[in-house]
Amino acid sequence: MSGRAYGVAWLSLLVALGCTRPAEERTLRDLEVGHAKASALDVEVGAGLAAVRSLSRDTLSLWLSAPSVDVSLVVRDTLSLGLRVENALPALELNELDTGRTLPLTSGAGDTKKSWQLALTPGSWHFRLAAPGARKKGEFRFALLSDVQEAIDRIQDVYRLINAEPELDFLLGAGDLTEEGEIDELERFQHELATLAVPYYTTLGNHELGDRPPAYQDWFGRANFQFAHRGVYFTMLDSASATIDPLANDWLASWLANAKNSVHVVAMHIPPFDPVGTRNAAFASRAEAATLVAKLAEAGVDLTLYGHIHSYYSFRNAGIAAFISGGGGATPERADDIGRHFMVFDVDAERGVLSSKVVRVDQGAPIDE
Amino acid sequence: MRVSFAPVRGVAGLLLCCVTIQSAPASAAETSPQLAPRSAPQSAATPVATPTPAAKANPLTRDRGVAAGLAMVPGLALHGSGHYALGHEKTARALFITEGIAVALTLAGYATLRASGNSRHLAGPALAATVFGAGLIFASFGADLYGTLANDGGALDSRLRAPARFESEFGYRYVADPHFSYGGFVVQSLTLREAGFRFTPSAWFANDSSNVRYRVEAAYRLQGLEPGQVGPLDDHVEIVLGALHQRFLPEHFRRSGVEFTLDTRFDFAHFGDTLRGSFIDLSLGYGRAKVSYDLAGLQIPSDTDDLLLARMGLGVALRGRAESGSEVRVYYDHRHDDYAAGLLTPGRISGVFGKLGADLRWFFTPRLGLLLDAQVGSAFVGGLSLLFRESRLQPGASSR
Repeated sequence: MSGRAYGVAWLSLLVALGCTRPAEERTLRDLEVGHAKASALDVEVGAGLAAVRSLSRDTLSLWLSAPSVDVSLVVRDTLSLGLRVENALPALELNELDTGRTLPLTSGAGDTKKSWQLALTPGSWHFRLAAPGARKKGEFRFALLSDVQEAIDRIQDVYRLINAEPELDFLLGAGDLTEEGEIDELERFQHELATLAVPYYTTLGNHELGDRPPAYQDWFGRANFQFAHRGVYFTMLDSASATIDPLANDWLASWLANAKNSVHVVAMHIPPFDPVGTRNAAFASRAEAATLVAKLAEAGVDLTLYGHIHSYYSFRNAGIAAFISGGGGATPERADDIGRHFMVFDVDAERGVLSSKVVRVDQGAPIDE
Repeated sequence: MRVSFAPVRGVAGLLLCCVTIQSAPASAAETSPQLAPRSAPQSAATPVATPTPAAKANPLTRDRGVAAGLAMVPGLALHGSGHYALGHEKTARALFITEGIAVALTLAGYATLRASGNSRHLAGPALAATVFGAGLIFASFGADLYGTLANDGGALDSRLRAPARFESEFGYRYVADPHFSYGGFVVQSLTLREAGFRFTPSAWFANDSSNVRYRVEAAYRLQGLEPGQVGPLDDHVEIVLGALHQRFLPEHFRRSGVEFTLDTRFDFAHFGDTLRGSFIDLSLGYGRAKVSYDLAGLQIPSDTDDLLLARMGLGVALRGRAESGSEVRVYYDHRHDDYAAGLLTPGRISGVFGKLGADLRWFFTPRLGLLLDAQVGSAFVGGLSLLFRESRLQPGASSR
């Protein structure tokens, strides 16, 4: 083969392999989350903070991605609609925004699964799903668990310890709930969640990318989103492809502005920088990583949380406290003396991040920061 | 701005298939390669390659097309199959042993990564072993295919190599990265050599002034030709110290670092004359950088960041009217801190791998040449440079 032929062949291969926006399709699908239409009604979930699992003239099922969610309905017929909500705060209530009245639960008091029966007439209806005091600034506690993957058979050990944590509002997830992201795995993951006493708000990880397009968003909602709880902002980003899609970066700019004067927690699966740079379990581009970290620092982000690396790391990027916690049970990093674990954080909208600790599932005492 | 490369990729994939097919010579009429040079060397250079025994009188085939087919099947698994079929058993054996070493290296690296759960203590060396192993696998396969198909009748034997004392580059690169506003860059570099020492400053300037990258390399050649010496092969071993400074003005950060690498080139002619003109480049090292943030009114602490530097390239010297030093090379580069950075894929694995690249150096006169360069990582980088160097062979140059 001549040198010229080698050159042309390789150049062709380079272009054929190139992929600069692997997360574009997923990011565009985020825009579809929380919207659904049926013959008798349309549903729109504010900011796409819930996945519409099913919609008919009798039933609307939602999987919540946030503690507080607004739902608008455009009803074209007189209906008796059963509203089923999963992954809800145990104290969640349904309020009709136009009248301010709280609607009575049909079932699920104190549970993460709840239902209501709504009598609807034609017109627009606006509801808010929120716990009492969810919008009032104050101190609260949340946990972080990521990278369960193939260890789903052992997840109940972890949930038992999470349930034993006092005054926990919710669990946050930085991706890799499953090994491949296939539907049966997502179904199994949801089934196992039935014993968890608090909702689990997550983004996806690279292990959810086995199916194309990933089924994750149909089940657990958006990959990129922001919510606020008791005055603290939480921004979840899709870094499962070792990059943030430029469209998601546009959204991030407005989310950073929203939280500019508040305590702000940002979570994603693959960290921009790996503390062990020679390993590079991180963004594919160090320049993109530094660009993101500079944006977060400029916006005064208080805490960054990551998964992907199956261990525990505490460090700082551009002065922002950063934790990698991939202790859900997936093949652990050896010789790190950590093993399965989750993290617990105390935060306050006025005072910032108050404390963090690592709770080891299999052994050892908690690591307090 | 959204740039879709899907149609381009489709066309490029087809082009790749066509080039691969058309590159195979219509070889039914070709004879077994004659390894003796067509003309005498220009100096008293001693060939470095051990003369390979002539091909067996009764090889499995004399048809290069058939041999190339065998180099692919079963050659994909048994490297050297093409040479074995043509009767070059020694070369075939060397390629097969190289493949064995490469597979062992890859498996050892991968097994270490798996067994250690990507341990912070082992990930760097294990990744380096995996990268080198995979690169060597590609190289031994590619070399077999090259030696099976190449048929220049020994034209390269008369082409001596001589490192230039002075070489400069001036060119243009386009970087297509959806995360950054920059696009075009002016690229300049200068290489000065004296005895075993090399000094290479270079710079990339974004046309819109949003980005600049300065780099300087100081190297010492432990083995290989030095300016004033000529030889038929360009094997070398260099230790390289590098320093880098890059400014991302709109993104408000700077990256400054130092690095150390060991760069080597091994000419496959050592394995047999059919491989004359092909070579493998290997480079391994470590880099450490400081990332400083320039945010108005904010005191942001800097970060430190380290890098595994590993590069594997397979190259071929150009023939015909191309002057000495002309070559085309394909490579894998593990570094993640430059414009092309690391590969992104739609599937589960992104972030770990570095980039793929190709470069073509074509000297159309003894002094003047062109460099065509393309890389694919998380961005596409490509462009063209004009090269100028001192004449390749100095009067009175000694051979080595």
